[in-house]
Amino acid sequence: MKLMGRDITGDKLLEEIRSRLQARGLEGPTGGPIRFDGLEPRVDPIAFNVEALSEHADPTRPLPLETHRAGLGRAVLLAKWLFRAGGQIFINEALARQKRFNGHVRDSYAQLSAEVKTLRERLEALEKPPAPVTKRKTK
Amino acid sequence: MSQAAIGFQLLLRRLGHYGHVHAGEVAPGYSSLVRSASELEPAREDLVLYHHGIASELASALLHLDCRRGVVFHNITPPRFYAGTSLEEPLTAGRAQLAAMAGRVDVSIGVSHFNASELRVAGHGNVHTVPLFIEPYRFDVDAADEAWARELKRPGTPLVVSVSRVVPHKRVEDLLRLHAELERRSPGARLLVVGPYAAGSRYFRSLPKQKHVTFAGAVSHAGLVAAYRSADAFVSMSEHEGFGVPLVEAMACDVPVLAFAAAAVPETLDGRGIAFDEKSFGVLAELILTLKTDHTLKGRVLEGQQQRVAELSPESTQAALAEALELPKTAASRRHHRAGKPKIAIVVQRYGERIVGGAEAHARQLAQHLSARCGVTVLTTCASDHLTWADVLPEGEEHDGDVTVHRFRCGGERRMRAFNRLSDERFSQAQSRVDEEHWLAEQGPRAPGLLAHLADTKGRYDAYVFFTYLYAPTVLGLPLVASRSLLVPTAHDEPPLKFDLYADAFELPRALLCNTPEEAALVAQRFPKAARARIVGVGVDPLPDSGWRPVAEPYALYVGRIEAGKGLKEIVKHHGRDLPRLVLAGEGDLKLKGVEALGRISEQQKYDALRHAALAVVPSRYESLSLLALEAFACGTPVVGNAASAVVAGHLKRSGAGVAFSSPEGYASAVREVSARREKLSQKALAYAKRFRWPKVVEAYLEEIEKIRHTT
Repeated sequence: MKLMGRDITGDKLLEEIRSRLQARGLEGPTGGPIRFDGLEPRVDPIAFNVEALSEHADPTRPLPLETHRAGLGRAVLLAKWLFRAGGQIFINEALARQKRFNGHVRDSYAQLSAEVKTLRERLEALEKPPAPVTKRKTK
Repeated sequence: MSQAAIGFQLLLRRLGHYGHVHAGEVAPGYSSLVRSASELEPAREDLVLYHHGIASELASALLHLDCRRGVVFHNITPPRFYAGTSLEEPLTAGRAQLAAMAGRVDVSIGVSHFNASELRVAGHGNVHTVPLFIEPYRFDVDAADEAWARELKRPGTPLVVSVSRVVPHKRVEDLLRLHAELERRSPGARLLVVGPYAAGSRYFRSLPKQKHVTFAGAVSHAGLVAAYRSADAFVSMSEHEGFGVPLVEAMACDVPVLAFAAAAVPETLDGRGIAFDEKSFGVLAELILTLKTDHTLKGRVLEGQQQRVAELSPESTQAALAEALELPKTAASRRHHRAGKPKIAIVVQRYGERIVGGAEAHARQLAQHLSARCGVTVLTTCASDHLTWADVLPEGEEHDGDVTVHRFRCGGERRMRAFNRLSDERFSQAQSRVDEEHWLAEQGPRAPGLLAHLADTKGRYDAYVFFTYLYAPTVLGLPLVASRSLLVPTAHDEPPLKFDLYADAFELPRALLCNTPEEAALVAQRFPKAARARIVGVGVDPLPDSGWRPVAEPYALYVGRIEAGKGLKEIVKHHGRDLPRLVLAGEGDLKLKGVEALGRISEQQKYDALRHAALAVVPSRYESLSLLALEAFACGTPVVGNAASAVVAGHLKRSGAGVAFSSPEGYASAVREVSARREKLSQKALAYAKRFRWPKVVEAYLEEIEKIRHTT
């Protein structure tokens, strides 16, 4: 562990504290070494959107049940679960056309984004500066 | 992010740019301050700065706006902290949106270098760092909720405070583990977690229940200051921070900061406070106790923290923002010195012959007197009623003699009952910037067209004279043209003057043109960095006597708005039958019995009535000039005034032409005394009134206007 700060002598302070703890048998637990992941990687928007559209294309599939409220919130959660358990057949019926529509949206996005990717690659290739022409040696 | 958006709006205002804040969701009651995103209709040359965090439909909407675009990135919690929960996807989606914006925005701003680096990783170019800021004076001792501070202060038992939402990446469980260690060493030690929490959430329910731990939820600004200032240490165990505003707030409150060095935390602390890279709870507990007892160590840490707070000032953020947006670093004032008659704009909330109100009458008289020497344009609203700001007068240009009057719509009526409730609540404690700005938006008049006009016409006028510090056109408009502005504050000791948001109105103009020495002293005491004050006052030129008098018998006269705040109720109650009859002239919503109410009277009638009155009554405790007293003096009529108003008391003391009362009983005897000595006091009144002549006042204004013309 390191204590960091311009206004403290981190190592000295830590040593003093540790020796005090040892003397009193009070070392205490530690959270263990911490994982630093640094900067978050880029999330490719097209790939993410294709995946998210696929994941959510079927509106009859329930989302996980969650509540942020205590007390009454639990009762509401139970009511929602009962509604789903008993009414799934009606949910399927009501959302059948939406499911088809979502499927078309997902497929259209996937096809169009594939097209965009291809066009981008071709554009990049065209914009690339031409390789220098090597002069042929003349005899 | 809402705090940051309001903060950026403030800085842009100081840079001379006017704009609105729009949001996808506006909290109930806040529509006066923040508009819905669906109302966003930028012009092609406008810049829309979108504040980005978790996924929002606004990110996609931004890409289709036909204007200049920018993104302010506040960071997004890495989805790994929320794996398997409903938050995982919107967090990832937010990062996908961030990448999608790359190349499609003109400028990208990270609120820390850490965030700026993530913008670059996401593919953004033209990336700048504009750190968040706090206003340190809002965290002074006197801003704290006293009752809660008293409750929290228990000498001997250490109190650790942490301010954050109770969510997984903030690692509240680690705070609890630290608390357990602290309690082993110091039984009774307390942990206070300030910030919203969802009692039914899986995470909150998973936290172990421990003694002496309080989850306070969201608290008021005053409560927040009380929590910080009662703490022995502020601890952050968070494993992801894009900036960490509470770290800076805690530093501003002089509490030692201990923070886990995650993400942007080391950058925000910049070596101040104490950062740690491993959560050894025993060591941290011991460190907190050491800081409580080792005053030398604590003193060093606090001193360093104060330096860091000073570095993260609004001024440095403003400079960084100006650089990012390629703007001049102060409100632009195009140099255009012209010879000949100066062109001035007078900005006042209401204007017109039939408008009742001291400051408004003052503004109109000044406009008319200055119009002989300057080109005068009055920028005002379509309102005639200062309670509702209803747009009843026609929008656009009209003329009042030689004065051009440009009226703008207020764009929203004030509901007084709700506003009074809000005022009572906001005046009771210190407020955050957002809450003060919200109050101001409710106070109005908002007049967005007037503000846009100010921002767009910086080169059109040589000087801008703002009337009354109190209303939105001054607070929001003056910074836009600060280098050419003069303020006639008409300030008196009233609750809104406590709000720090008025600092710009008093500190940024070139000069304050005060009405009385008492007003100037009040302003200097409240805002020590206020601009130079000059006592200018007004001129009073009474119209000649036409012989009219409102009642045949001797009378005491009040002229002005008939409102509760004017102190009329109190004097009516104590105005005995043996005293001269009480006559009230003016309009208002207060109904009083046993008086002669004339309603609105003309200027001629006013001077006639004053001249024939036994005395004039000034019962209000809130006066910055007391035009009524000066007009009465100019007519040779003595005055009975409320001693609680320093201004009225000052006039009476300097003139010797009346008596100030400081109790209801004193009022009756003051009226008797003045009635008995009217003749002698009348001479003193006339002598004092000679000091208030328009030619002197106009010269003073012209001098100040010339100073501006020669230096901008």
